[in-house]
Amino acid sequence: MAEVLDYIQFVLAPQVVTGLAFGVAVILVAIGLTIIFGLLDVINMSHGEFYAFGAFAALALGWLGIPFWLLLVLVPLAMLPVGYAVERVLIQRVFNRPDRHVTTLLLTFGLGLVLEDVFRLGFGPNPYRPETPIPGAVVLFGIFLPNYRLFLIVVGALVIAAVALVVYRTRLGAMVRAAAFDRNMAASLGVPVAWVYAGAFAFGISLAGFAGVLLAPIYSVFPTMGRDFILMAFTVVIVGGMGSIAGAVVAGLFLTQVQAIASLYISPVWTDPIVFGIMVVMLMVRPQGLFGRLGYA
Amino acid sequence: MKAFQASALAALFAAAAITGVRAADPIKIGVVTPLSGTYAGIGQQVRWGLDLAAKEVNAAGGIMGRPIELLYEDEEANPAVAVQKAEKLFEVAKVDFLTGTVSSGSTLAVGQLAERAGKLIATTVSFADSITGDRCSPNVFRVNARAGQQSAALAVWLSKEKPQAKVFYLGPDYEMGRSTVAAFKSSAEKVGASTVGEVFAPLDAKDYTQYFGQVRAARPQVLYTSVAGNDTVRLLSQMQEFGLLTNLTLVGASDTVTSQNISAIGKAAEGFVTGVGYSTEINSPENKKFVDAFKAAYKADPDLYGADSYGLIYAYKAAVEKAKSTDTDKVREALRGLKWMTPQGEKTIRAGDHQAIQTMYVVRITNGQFNIGGQVSGEDAVGPDACTRF
Repeated sequence: MAEVLDYIQFVLAPQVVTGLAFGVAVILVAIGLTIIFGLLDVINMSHGEFYAFGAFAALALGWLGIPFWLLLVLVPLAMLPVGYAVERVLIQRVFNRPDRHVTTLLLTFGLGLVLEDVFRLGFGPNPYRPETPIPGAVVLFGIFLPNYRLFLIVVGALVIAAVALVVYRTRLGAMVRAAAFDRNMAASLGVPVAWVYAGAFAFGISLAGFAGVLLAPIYSVFPTMGRDFILMAFTVVIVGGMGSIAGAVVAGLFLTQVQAIASLYISPVWTDPIVFGIMVVMLMVRPQGLFGRLGYA
Repeated sequence: MKAFQASALAALFAAAAITGVRAADPIKIGVVTPLSGTYAGIGQQVRWGLDLAAKEVNAAGGIMGRPIELLYEDEEANPAVAVQKAEKLFEVAKVDFLTGTVSSGSTLAVGQLAERAGKLIATTVSFADSITGDRCSPNVFRVNARAGQQSAALAVWLSKEKPQAKVFYLGPDYEMGRSTVAAFKSSAEKVGASTVGEVFAPLDAKDYTQYFGQVRAARPQVLYTSVAGNDTVRLLSQMQEFGLLTNLTLVGASDTVTSQNISAIGKAAEGFVTGVGYSTEINSPENKKFVDAFKAAYKADPDLYGADSYGLIYAYKAAVEKAKSTDTDKVREALRGLKWMTPQGEKTIRAGDHQAIQTMYVVRITNGQFNIGGQVSGEDAVGPDACTRF
């Protein structure tokens, strides 16, 4: 009996809790992706690089002496105009072509490569690690938990809840969902569709930047960091339903827990195939995902 | 001023005239090394080390009165390119000897070419045990320490510091990661350590915290890891975050913590121990002289690649002078069992597998600096001769 308790306390429970922190991180990246996909019908391949953008911006501004807490607000705000400009200047140029999926995918993929090289030129290939803003740890029910991970779970959950509230419960959110459901009808009812599109893109980018600032002390900052989350985030978006925020949350928590617990029993290398296998099965059985598209549910 | 220039010029001509009588033709050494790409930093050290030694040897009268001439080619850390460039040096430039290859793949490939061309090569960088093990070649020598020597040195140190240690292994899940863990495990178990668990994480793993449960449950005294680059940054900083570094001795491969990632790791790297073949901290007159000359010439510290490349020129000089010839068979015989002085002290080339035997050093990180924490004699570290071809 003591052994079982020991196992739960030292192995299983910490695994679930750290898996939860990782899940929140993945959901933060995936939500921006799913909003952009659900609304604009654009697969943003450069989303990971905007996550890195946020981390590098926080790193550079941190060197200037700006405290972390201010950066957590400042960097996402500063990325709004960046995202807005990218949508208006780059994406709109190819948006109305018939082969939109291909052109926007290639465009954002190229943009991601350019950004990655810009980071490399500006900061060099070696990693940086900002100091953890809240060091120390607490022991909850015998489970060792670093304070910053706890902070990540709480703040991440609050931000995700706030985003869901805005999209599903406000007038602004209703306009976004209306534009996603039927662009022409929304426009004829007075929704400024062009503004909504660019604004939603900027918002998604800003969320990625927020995740970058928040996760930099844990995962460190380097030019190719954008690739880390992107596959997992895409999987979450596909399983959860493209454009669904509730879907991203459920799929994000589910898949990261599968990964965390599976890695206890099988070689960790095999957890990725399991997660991607779930995605493939999902695409075969229920291609619209768990919750279906934004604006439709 | 004019007069001085004129007399200097005259002296130069005179010198050239004297040496020009017998030693007109230099001894040519080809250097196929990465001068561009990912490994350019290593190639730079190789070049600096060789240049410095050649300059010193030439200033002291060359090898049997003949100056050394180094011919460089960029191998781009690509075995196919390395073979092509080596072939050019053997066939067109007619070099007497060849060195410089960095990746183990390049060394093995160029070694096969050297056998066909009837020339000798030496690597000063490649770590793979197989080069002087099951894939040894009569035409290939290695003057640097191989991976097995590094892990053996570390294991000997561990058995003294923490006898009967309980060790947990965490490696990256690919060929190099698994082989380094296997090598250290067998060395450590030979000297009394026991294994309490092992886990292989994917290369470029984001989050190592998912393995910490297994580490914690195994309650190890020592953790060995062979992750490298940014993976080390994440692993060690996350271990620190989760309070796993207290009462744990952290040991690892020689490229786990390097000058490139140590600043990002910060305090979490404190106390990390590894086995290496060279450190600028080695306290000997030979090393002091070498480090000073290197810094004066290149405004940079030498690393193990620079030091081993520097040492090679002196090994070749000693062998040619012993053989009184640059003939392949005669130089091979002279290199076998050769003892010569290097910045790391005296090295011996083992006749049975062409592997240099040298004192190995255990390096520990304190206050962000690599400090020598102990040394292990060459015989204890080198391991058995596994070469059966000659």
